[in-house]
Amino acid sequence: MNHTVSADSFAEQVKAIPGGEMLMMCFSCGTCTSKCMIQEKLEPNYNPRRLIREAVFNLEETAFSDKTTWLCTACDLCYPACPQEIHISGVITAVKQLAVAQGRQTPYQTARVNESTCVACGLCVEVCPYEAIALVEKKVPFRGLISVAEVDPGKCMACGMCSAACRSTSIRLDQEFNDNHVLENIWTWLESEVF
Amino acid sequence: MVDAARQPLIEVKAYTEVEKVEGFVGNFKVTLREKAKYVRADRCNGCAACAKACPVEVPNYFEMNLAPRKAAYIPMSQSVPLIYNIDMDACIHCYKCVEACGALEAIDFSIEDKIIEEDIGAIVVATGFGHFDPTPMTEYGYGRFPNVITAMEMERLNNSAGPTRGSLMRPSDNKRPQRLAIINCVGSRDKRYNTSCSNFCCMYAIKNALLLKQMMPDMDISIYYIDIRTPSKGYEEFYDRAREAGIKFIQGRPAEITEDPDTNQLFIKSEDITLGRVVEHEYDMVMLNQAAIPQPDQNHMSSVLNVAQSPGGWFMEYHPKLRPMDSPTDGIFFAGACQGPKDIPASVAQGSAAAARASRILHSKTWQIEPTVAVVWPDRCVSGKGQACGICERACPYGAIDYTKGISAEVITAKCHGCGACVGECPHDAITQLHFTDAQVLSQIRTLLAVEPEKKILAFRCQWCSYGGADLAGTSHFEYSANERGLRVMCSARMDADLIYEAYRLGAGAILYSGCHPQDCHYITGQIAGAKRAARLDKMFARLGMSPGRFRIEWISAAEGDKYARVINEMQATLDAIPENELKAEIERLKPEMEKKLTKLNDVPGVEEAMIQVDFIVSEMQNKAVPV
Repeated sequence: MNHTVSADSFAEQVKAIPGGEMLMMCFSCGTCTSKCMIQEKLEPNYNPRRLIREAVFNLEETAFSDKTTWLCTACDLCYPACPQEIHISGVITAVKQLAVAQGRQTPYQTARVNESTCVACGLCVEVCPYEAIALVEKKVPFRGLISVAEVDPGKCMACGMCSAACRSTSIRLDQEFNDNHVLENIWTWLESEVF
Repeated sequence: MVDAARQPLIEVKAYTEVEKVEGFVGNFKVTLREKAKYVRADRCNGCAACAKACPVEVPNYFEMNLAPRKAAYIPMSQSVPLIYNIDMDACIHCYKCVEACGALEAIDFSIEDKIIEEDIGAIVVATGFGHFDPTPMTEYGYGRFPNVITAMEMERLNNSAGPTRGSLMRPSDNKRPQRLAIINCVGSRDKRYNTSCSNFCCMYAIKNALLLKQMMPDMDISIYYIDIRTPSKGYEEFYDRAREAGIKFIQGRPAEITEDPDTNQLFIKSEDITLGRVVEHEYDMVMLNQAAIPQPDQNHMSSVLNVAQSPGGWFMEYHPKLRPMDSPTDGIFFAGACQGPKDIPASVAQGSAAAARASRILHSKTWQIEPTVAVVWPDRCVSGKGQACGICERACPYGAIDYTKGISAEVITAKCHGCGACVGECPHDAITQLHFTDAQVLSQIRTLLAVEPEKKILAFRCQWCSYGGADLAGTSHFEYSANERGLRVMCSARMDADLIYEAYRLGAGAILYSGCHPQDCHYITGQIAGAKRAARLDKMFARLGMSPGRFRIEWISAAEGDKYARVINEMQATLDAIPENELKAEIERLKPEMEKKLTKLNDVPGVEEAMIQVDFIVSEMQNKAVPV
C-alpha cells in the first residue's frame, strides 16, 4: 500500500478533478452504501464508501477494477444523505475519469452505433443524460466520410435513452435490455394472468 | 437543588428571568423579572389540592409531552421551591383551585410580574443545552412513525416517576419492545445540522442500553454508531461491560428507517462496515440519540450578558484551554453545557471551578485588571467641545465607554480589557492605551525602520494570535525572511491607520496587517473592527497607486506558524519582484500623501518628547554607533 502524500499520488489526482475535492472528508459512516439503489437492486458488492477509502489510500488498481467505479449512475440519492456533504457521485466520476484516461474501459455494456444506418440527426445527442454521445466526422465503409454519432464508453451508463429516441434503430444496447428483451418482457406480461 | 435551597447563604430565585445586566466585575446591577406564579409562596404548602381540582389538561413539557398536566401544576416532583404555579395560557378562570385551596388562601390571581434590581458581585451562567429536534431528518421518520422516539422521550418512558411508571412500552400498541435500536449522531457530526460532536451521547447510549438490559435481560439491543467515543476514565470499561452484557454494536450510520404500516414494526437498513455489507434488521422500537444544541434563547442571553458566542452558538470562553470557565467579560463565568456540550463529571468540574473563580471576586476588596487600559484626554475629545461623535463608544466591544454629547467620553476602567479598538478608531487621537501609547508605538516603528526601510517588511501582529504564530514559526524552525520586523499590539483593532501611514512615510517596503481569525478574537469583536479598517486602507492604497502586495492583510492563529512563515516569504518575493529604483520612486511619490494624513499625530501628548529621544537613537543607528 502506498501511503505517500505527494502531488501526483492517486488521492491527490482524484482531488484535483472537479467533483473529487471533498475526498478526504469522508469519515466512513456507510450512509451512502445503505442508501444506494444499485447496491440494493443490482450489485450487492457495490460500495461507494469502500471506493472512497480505496482512493484515499491510493489503491489505484483496486479502485479501477471496483464495480462501484463503473456502475454509479449519478442518481445522487446518497448526496443529500451524506452527513459530511460529500458529492459522492462527483468523487466516483473523478475516479472513473482517471481510469478512462488510462485506457480502462467499463466491463459493462455501452450503447453501440450502427454506423451504416446512422443519419446524424442528433436526437441521441440531445437525450443523453450523461453527455456521452457526440456527432463526429468519420470514414464509414461503403458510405465515405460522413457525420455519425459516436458513444464515449467512459461516459455511457447504458440507460437506453438514445435507443428509445433513435428513429432508425441505429443506436442501441446489444447485450442486456435490448429491444428483443424488452418486447419479450412486454409479451410475457400481456399473456400473464395479471391482465 | 433541594440541598442548595436549604443553604442559608443561597437564595434560589425560581421562575425568574434575567432582563438586563449592567455594571462591571464586583458591581453588576442585574434586573430580574420574577414571573407571576399566581400562587403566594409564603402560603402554598405544595399539597396539590389545586391541581386535583383543576379541570384543564395540557401536555406536560417535563414528560416530553407524553403525559398531561393540569393548568395548576409543579414542573416536576423535585421542584424547588415546591410551590404550585398557574399556567395562565391554559387557565380558563373557573376558580376551582381557589375553592380547593380553601382557608390557606394561597392562590391570588392579582399577582403580577415583579421587576427586581439586585447588586451582584459575580455571575455564573449555567443555562445548559437544548435538544435537537429530529423531525427535519425525514429519513428517520420521527413524528411519522410512532415507535421512533428521541433519547429524552426514552428517558421519561424508562423512569419510575415517568408517565408509564417505569415500564417501557412502545407508543403504537403499549407493548413491551423486544428488539430496540439506538441510533447515535442524529443531527450531530452532520454538516446539514450540527457539525460538532455532542460529546456525551456515545456514553449516554451505552448507559441507556445497559440500564434496559438490566431491567429486561431478554431484550435485544443494537447501537448504530459512526465511532464510539469513550475517552474518560472508566468509560472504555463501561463500553466493555455493555458488550459483555450482549449489546450489539453496529458500525454504520443508517440511511433510512422504514415502517410496516400494519404492525408499526421498524426496519433499519445500514452498512455494517466491519462486515463490509449492507444489513437490514427489524426492530420494535428505535431511539434516536439526538444532538445537544445551544438553548433556543442562547442568542438572547448572549446579548443580555454581553458575552460572545462560538461558531456553534455556545457561549465563548476566555480561552479554550487555559480559562475555559471564564467569559471574556470579567466577573461572568460559565458552568456546564452552556459553554459547549459536556457530560456530568466535566460539568461538575467546570461548575466548581466557576464557583471558586466567582468567590475570589466576592472575597476581594480590590480587583486586578489588565494594565493596558484606555485613557481619554478630555481636552482633545471633541464631545467635550459640544460636537457629536461617539465613535469610541460604538467601537468598544465591552461597552466600557460612556459617551454623552457635551461631556468628553469616559472609560470605565474596570470594564476595559485593553484591546485598543477605541484608540484605533478615534479620529481625533483623543484616546490612548497605556503601554501602547502612540508615542511608544511610533518610537518602535521609527527604530525598526531606521536603516534601509525600503527593504523591511513591517509586521503588525496582535498579541494573542499572529504574534503567537510568529513565535511558533520561530520555535518550529520555519525559515522566513530576515527582513521582517515584528511589532506587537494587543489586538488588530489597535492598528491605527496613523501608524500605518507613518510607517509608509518613513519608507517601509511592505506592511503586514495581521491578527486573529474572526472567531478566535480575544476581544469579542476587536478583529472585526480591525478587519474593516484594514480593508478600507487596502482600497485607499490601491487608489493611491501603491504596488499590489506592499500592504497585506492576513489572519493567522497562534497555531499557524507555517502560515506566518509562508506569508512573510511571499511578501519578500513580492518586494523582490519590484525593481529597487521603482520601489524608491513609489515611496517618494506616496510620501506627501501620507504626510497629508498625518497632521494630528505630532500634537498627541508625549509624541514630540518621545521623538526627540528616538531621533537621536535613529541617527546613532544610521551612523552605526549602535547595532541595528
